Amino acid sequence: MSRILSVGISEFRVAAAPSILMTYGLGSCVGIALYDPVALTGSLAHTLLPAPVRFQDDGGRSAKFTCWAVDLMVEELGKCGCAIDRLVAKLAGGATMFEPRHRTTHGGIGERNVTAAREALERCGIPLVAEDTGGDYGRSLEFNTATGIIMVRALQRPIKQL
Amino acid sequence: MKFDSLTEEHLDALREVSNIGVAHAATALSQLIGRSISLQVPKVLMTEITKVPEAFGGAEKIVVGIYLQMLGDARGNILIVLPRESALKLLSRLLPREKSEGALLTELEISALKEVGNILASAYLNALGTLMHKTLIPSVPVLSFDMAGAVIDYVLIELGEVGDLALVVETEFFGEDEKINGQFFLLPDPDSLKIILNAIGVSL
Repeated sequence: MSRILSVGISEFRVAAAPSILMTYGLGSCVGIALYDPVALTGSLAHTLLPAPVRFQDDGGRSAKFTCWAVDLMVEELGKCGCAIDRLVAKLAGGATMFEPRHRTTHGGIGERNVTAAREALERCGIPLVAEDTGGDYGRSLEFNTATGIIMVRALQRPIKQL
Repeated sequence: MKFDSLTEEHLDALREVSNIGVAHAATALSQLIGRSISLQVPKVLMTEITKVPEAFGGAEKIVVGIYLQMLGDARGNILIVLPRESALKLLSRLLPREKSEGALLTELEISALKEVGNILASAYLNALGTLMHKTLIPSVPVLSFDMAGAVIDYVLIELGEVGDLALVVETEFFGEDEKINGQFFLLPDPDSLKIILNAIGVSL
C-alpha cells in the first residue's frame, strides 16, 4: 500500500517510494518537486510567495518563500541519503487566477513564483526536466515517488503527466 | 500590527460589526433574487494561512470565487465563495438558463455573478463604513471558477507578505426553500485592522 502524504500551503515534505506526495489547489502558488531516481526519494513543496518583501518572518526560513524552498528541500533530501547531483526538478502552478485587472497589486505573482523557482534550481545546479506552469486555472499534483511521475489534475482539462 | 495580538474582546467587536454588515448584504441579495435569505451570525476566526483552504470546505472543492478589494479609509480583501451548485441556483433565479451540458459558465452568467458579488460587498462595506464613520468602497469584482485552493491563494499571497495568520470573517447565507449557501470572507490588511478597531472603539 502506498502512503499518501498531503502538502499544505507554505509546506514541503520528503518521502520515499512507495509514498505519494499530493498537493491540492495550486493557483498562483507554485509546486516544486525534486526527485532522486536512484534513492526513489522525492520532495514536494507548495510555496506561496517568491521572496520576502519587507522586514519580516524573524522565525527563519520557510517553504512559504519560493526562493528558500529549494534549499530546504535539498537539505532534507541530503539527510535522507539522496545525492544532490542526481536530483531532477519539475514545476507546476504559477497561474493567474483572476483577470489581470488586479495585477498591478500583485505584479503577476504566479509568473514571479515560477521565475523564483527556476532561479533557485539554477543556483543549486538542479536540472529542470518538466513543467506545467502559467495559465488561468488551478492544479492539483500527485507525485509518485516510485516513478518520479507527477499527475497534474485541473478542472475541465485532461490529466497531464509530467 | 500583528493579528496575534488580538484579544477576545477585539474579536467580539469585529463579530458585532460584521453581523451588521452581512445583514445588509443579505437584505440586498434577497431583494435582488426576490426571495428571503437568512444568514448565520458571522464567525470571526484567526487562522494560520496554511489552514485557510480547509475553511472553504477543502482545497479541491469546485467553487465560484468573487474577489474584490476593500478600498478607501481601510484596505483589505473580500472574497465571496459560492459552491458550484449554489452559484447555479442563484443564476437560475437571475437569468433564464438553458440546461447547458457543459459545466462552464457563460459570459452572461459570469457577469451576473460578479454583480451579485458587487451588491453583497457594497452593502457590507456601506454598513461597516457608516458604523465607523469611514468611507469604504469595493473595487470592480473579478471572478474565478475553479478549485477553492487555487481561488484563494491569490488572496493569501497579500497576507503572506506580512505574516502567517489571517483574520477571516466568515458567514453563511441560506435561501428560504432551496439551499443556496455561500461564504463571505473579509481579510483586512493588518494595518487597516488597526484603523477598523480604533473606529469601533476597541483600540489596542
